[in-house]
Amino acid sequence: MTSSQRDNALEIRGVSVAFGKNLALDDVSLAVEPGERLAVIGTSGAGKSTLFRAITRDVGVSGEIRFGDRRIHTLSKRELREVRGSVGKIHQAYNLVPQLPAGVNAALGDVVNMGKLRTLHTFLAGPNTALAKTVEAAMERVGLAGMSSAKTSNLSGGQQQRVAVARLLVQRPGLILADEPFAAVDPVTTERVFDALLELNKDGASLLISLHDVELAKRFPRVVALKEGSVVYDGSPEHLTNEKLNDIYDGDMEARPKGKEPEEPGPDNFSGPDITRLKGQDGISAH
Amino acid sequence: MASPPTKYEGRIGGAVPRFSWGSSLAILIVVGLAGWSYYGTEFDIVDLLTNTEPATRFVSEMFPPDFSTATLQATGQGVLETFHMSFLGALIGAVVAFPLAALGTRGVDTVGASRTERVLRVVPYHVARFILNVFRSVPDILWALVFVVALGLGPFPGTLALAVHSAGVLGKLYSETLEAVPSRPVEALASTGADGFQSFLFGMLPQGMSNFTSLTLYMWECNIRSATILGFVGAGGIGQQILISMNLFDYSKVATLVGATVVVVLVVDRFSAAVRKRITD
Repeated sequence: MTSSQRDNALEIRGVSVAFGKNLALDDVSLAVEPGERLAVIGTSGAGKSTLFRAITRDVGVSGEIRFGDRRIHTLSKRELREVRGSVGKIHQAYNLVPQLPAGVNAALGDVVNMGKLRTLHTFLAGPNTALAKTVEAAMERVGLAGMSSAKTSNLSGGQQQRVAVARLLVQRPGLILADEPFAAVDPVTTERVFDALLELNKDGASLLISLHDVELAKRFPRVVALKEGSVVYDGSPEHLTNEKLNDIYDGDMEARPKGKEPEEPGPDNFSGPDITRLKGQDGISAH
Repeated sequence: MASPPTKYEGRIGGAVPRFSWGSSLAILIVVGLAGWSYYGTEFDIVDLLTNTEPATRFVSEMFPPDFSTATLQATGQGVLETFHMSFLGALIGAVVAFPLAALGTRGVDTVGASRTERVLRVVPYHVARFILNVFRSVPDILWALVFVVALGLGPFPGTLALAVHSAGVLGKLYSETLEAVPSRPVEALASTGADGFQSFLFGMLPQGMSNFTSLTLYMWECNIRSATILGFVGAGGIGQQILISMNLFDYSKVATLVGATVVVVLVVDRFSAAVRKRITD
């Protein structure tokens, strides 16, 4: 294993996060090898989003998070930016800037490499030729060829999520944190986004993905389950019995009320009943 | 939830809150303040309705309004000056307000920042906020008095007064806009490595832009109204003409000037509202 790959190893050791009196993460430990891919499952509020936010230091923690040999929560601002630049994020709510052209949102995957001057240039005149080329290729890869200059808010939810993936393709991160990326998109987009994420993973990026769809999660070599802020399962999907799942979801897998349907008006019939039952229930996941 | 009722009364109640000691006290306070102010201002509705002679004389002397060439010319000049003052005032105000608002806006990302970093961030914030507060809390007519004393009579001190007050108001509104933009896209940018400047430029600014334009147009609307009064302290605009004509008891000329003012204010209001609607839709 080369040292640059080693830089992408993620180690979470005894991490707790408290919001007031509420303990969102409770002594979580997790090691992710470079290039590994794992699915994180758990109910709404189990701490999945908080875990992802802690990794990029969007929240303060007690405990230690290491990315390569760097301790995230003690880094200087500059070092933190560097680390963040090599961590790609994709969210349930896309989190793009709706007023910008789609291509600029994708180009912002390269924001960490922009100096002051290039930032201004990108702001005023758009990405330079080299970056524009990369962006176009990424947009084509996600099936949005020629849509770079469309205003992002004019795109459908599914298209916006694909722009978010295009941003990842531009960024080429060493670690990808995907937080419920399929919760609000149509089946076709789900397939496309999933493919693109797996491709990035094959190219060497570690992939952490939080999912509501247990069946989809079982397609990952490793599944981590969170419950009330603690890791209650960490291992291969074969040992994830119904009994354990019942425990993870508080025994009311079947009884959970149907949440609001995703905003995306598209059909909701993607591969079997499990998905429709679990989809879109995390509408306000612990952000 | 409050303690559950012992028996169901079969009433849900309307939108008006039902009796409570809190709301009764609030009503009592409002009534009390109204009474106090009534005496404090020597408010006398009977006097207004019986002693009509001066008012009718004033109004009747306004008609017919003076439409002589000289008056129309003076009116046109006054209107134009008022327009120029209000427009330039709003524009300069916006240009001054923007950087102050940017400084006077709390950033998103402070997790793990050291004490020095926090202090370095807090100082410009409070300085900018302080300047904006001073600009805003002094009414434009007082600014006009200050500038007239310093620079002499005319539309220039008036324009400066409007600019300073506009900068204060707009700066506050701009920074409130920036703080209220949806934070997740901005956070998303920061967590992929954008620095404060980049997050501001690509995250906050595009999301606040349409509001900025709308607020600036609204400021211009307000300035048109303010600019008509600034003339009373000698700071140019149509108000100066109104004051002079008043002092000369030339009420028919006053009628023309006031009429023109009303028309201009209405036109600018309509225009600005239409543009703002287009922008925000």
